[in-house]
Amino acid sequence: MSAEGRTEAEATARADADEEIREELPSGVSPGEAREGARDATSWAKNVSTLEVADVPEGAVNINVEGKRLASPIQGFGKMWQKTYRVRIPGERVSPTDLIALWKERFPEFWPEGNRFHAPLTGISPGEVALINAALPGGMKLSTGVMVLYADEESFTLMTPQGHMFAGWITFSSIAREGDTVAQAQVLMRASDPIFELGLALGGHRQEDRFWEQTLTALAAHYGHEVEVDTQVVCVDRKRQWRRASNVWHSSAIRSTMYTAGAPLRWLRQKLGRGSAGGKSTA
Amino acid sequence: MATGATEAKAKVHERGGVAVIELHGEINRSAEAVIERGYEEAAALGPSSLLLDFGSVDYINSTGIALIVGVLARARADGRTVRACGLSDHYREIFEITRLADFMTIHADEASALAEASG
Repeated sequence: MSAEGRTEAEATARADADEEIREELPSGVSPGEAREGARDATSWAKNVSTLEVADVPEGAVNINVEGKRLASPIQGFGKMWQKTYRVRIPGERVSPTDLIALWKERFPEFWPEGNRFHAPLTGISPGEVALINAALPGGMKLSTGVMVLYADEESFTLMTPQGHMFAGWITFSSIAREGDTVAQAQVLMRASDPIFELGLALGGHRQEDRFWEQTLTALAAHYGHEVEVDTQVVCVDRKRQWRRASNVWHSSAIRSTMYTAGAPLRWLRQKLGRGSAGGKSTA
Repeated sequence: MATGATEAKAKVHERGGVAVIELHGEINRSAEAVIERGYEEAAALGPSSLLLDFGSVDYINSTGIALIVGVLARARADGRTVRACGLSDHYREIFEITRLADFMTIHADEASALAEASG
């Protein structure tokens, strides 16, 4: 909020608070700087070299997240896209901060059927890692995840690890505009590797658009509002980064497929292991 | 980093063949048009190198980082290198987490950035 936008009472309260804070601050640090620092410390994830998953919920598969590095859109292979999905909800039904609070708290509920977001136990907060089971065309299941890069009262951002379908992040935000509350999901992405780039060209983009359109439609419906999603797609960089083609070695699609194909073998090994353990105990 | 101003501003000037985009205020969703104009003004100077000066930036949120990625992508597509200066330790860390630091050299201040660009 700008200084001009504050009421006199707010300005007086802020001045009193500043006076109290000033006494406890090291010399040379203003209350404003301390406040910005606090906002930063709580909103951004801490630096991590590789991702760690504290708890793996039932039904989730952690083969493509643990030990992976984060990947910004710059680390991806394909063209860089910015996709923006927006809905307007009458302002009297929900404020931007209430909408973001609810979206964070009940994030998985608004996802389309067949996809599962295993939210961290502590919720959407900076540095937390969530596992994802996503549905791909042809009935294929993909196990992947995201890290919460940033979260404040007006927005939150999820960032992908190496091997995810795309390298990048998705920012969910809300603002007040002309009496409405605008909810927005904005994806900044590059396909991680040549296989995902091909997949995006062969219907993956359309599927992704549908995914976020359904999510925002469900969010608006929660507030009793039926609305069409406004979708804008911009190609930020048309160049493919061929030196990133080797990202395919981290591909979550390939690893998920191999994991699924290996299920009978794992089941058999488990059975034999149990049988063998049982034999020993009874001998 | 300075505090007080919140509205984003971009001042562009040329120094030693480098287009410097001096950013002010908060780099968030409302800064999109400002950053867009800043890049276009800088590109019009025809430099081979861009310097983003964050010394007067109060705050950057994740949407702001996405805007910076947009500048980086456009500069790379136009064949320009990008440097950054004036980042606090905290934002240096954010540039590490988001891996922006892999693609731009980060300098303490404008003078050291320009010295290296000309060297």
